[in-house]
Amino acid sequence: MINSGLFASDLTVSRAEQTLIEGAELHLAPSSITYLYGENGAGKTSLMRCLCGLLPADQGSIRWNGKPISSSDSNYFNDLLFLAHALSMKAELSIMENLHFYAKLRGVNNANGLIQQAAQQLGIDHLLARRFAELSAGQQHKVALCRLVVEPAKIWILDEPFVNLDHQTRDWLANTMMEFAKQGGVVLFTSHHEIEQLTIDQRLSLEH
Amino acid sequence: MLLTLLKRELMIARRNWIGLAIPVFFFVMVVSLFPFAVSPDAPVLQKIAPGIIWVAALLATLLSLEQFYRTDYQDGSLEQLVIMSSPTLVASAKIIAHWILTGLPLVLISPLLGVLMQLNYGVGYDSVAEDHTVVLMLSLLLGTPTLCLIGAVGMSLTLAANRNGMLVSVLILPLYVPILIFGASTVTASLENFGYNGQLAILGALLLLAMVFAPFAAGRALKISVS
Repeated sequence: MINSGLFASDLTVSRAEQTLIEGAELHLAPSSITYLYGENGAGKTSLMRCLCGLLPADQGSIRWNGKPISSSDSNYFNDLLFLAHALSMKAELSIMENLHFYAKLRGVNNANGLIQQAAQQLGIDHLLARRFAELSAGQQHKVALCRLVVEPAKIWILDEPFVNLDHQTRDWLANTMMEFAKQGGVVLFTSHHEIEQLTIDQRLSLEH
Repeated sequence: MLLTLLKRELMIARRNWIGLAIPVFFFVMVVSLFPFAVSPDAPVLQKIAPGIIWVAALLATLLSLEQFYRTDYQDGSLEQLVIMSSPTLVASAKIIAHWILTGLPLVLISPLLGVLMQLNYGVGYDSVAEDHTVVLMLSLLLGTPTLCLIGAVGMSLTLAANRNGMLVSVLILPLYVPILIFGASTVTASLENFGYNGQLAILGALLLLAMVFAPFAAGRALKISVS
């Protein structure tokens, strides 16, 4: 039994009555970046959703720092930041309001400064008052990435975070991920391309 | 946490008020068809008014349920909310917001429909005690939250299904029947100068019962639906 980081053992995940992962063991250690790859439909997103507690596993246990993720003393869901394919932002609200809401849910009360800072790093600080629906796809993606800076977390699970990004933002994201890992964070991400800027500690491949 | 969620719902609704106004318009329109279709005679209208207004309120609630979770489910924020707070809390915030935005307007606009349907025919202008529209409002005030609570369970269950609006209507309409019976009979009793406290008490009891169980059931169903 491994008592630090996220540890899944004997994990079986299925989706739409098709078994995607069977009896897998997986350990995401603190201060590490894990790259999950595989073909389309291999089950990357399902595995991530399972690790986020959204998709119940058919079998097996997932533990965060030695405690089952569903138990409240593991504090897993407070430590987890999951960026899914869908950006999870409301079109009707401004960027500021969107990010502010998520920060508030995490218990960050004075998030304005942090949001400013994150938006500045990503070059969208002049758009903060605009509605989310008015932005371009790339800009919308950047808004979702701002959450990485604004919300305190100990584990990031990122589904295709490098999609739709320009070079500058790719660099920024790679650096932010490495910085986070250096401070003891756990990162799991998927991508269809190698990210050369990133130092990857562990590679996981999913096959049909 | 609940307040944060609630504030967000209200903020989004303020920017998106057209969608919320439609069920209220629907409510008014459906009821106003009856004087044309049945008879403009005051005694006739007065007699059928409780049933008509209550059925229209029920259908308006059903219509508004369509937008209960839809955008949140589509843009992925429902998943985030379920991860970051608890499904029961998310469902509770949705139910409260939904009632404030769609149930309460029905209650507030019902006196207008009372006038339209000649609910106070034969009642003196100065007798507030005999005002039947007050009874109508009271019955709707106690009934519509129950409709929202039951609707929330139905919506949570059918979230992932296609055409869930249709499915949810078929699923929950039978569950709405007791509320319809006691809601309409409250007003009818008042029209016939009988006591209506008993009916109101039953509506209140149904509301309390739904308040205890529905948020948990909706939360549980929500958790299953997002997986």
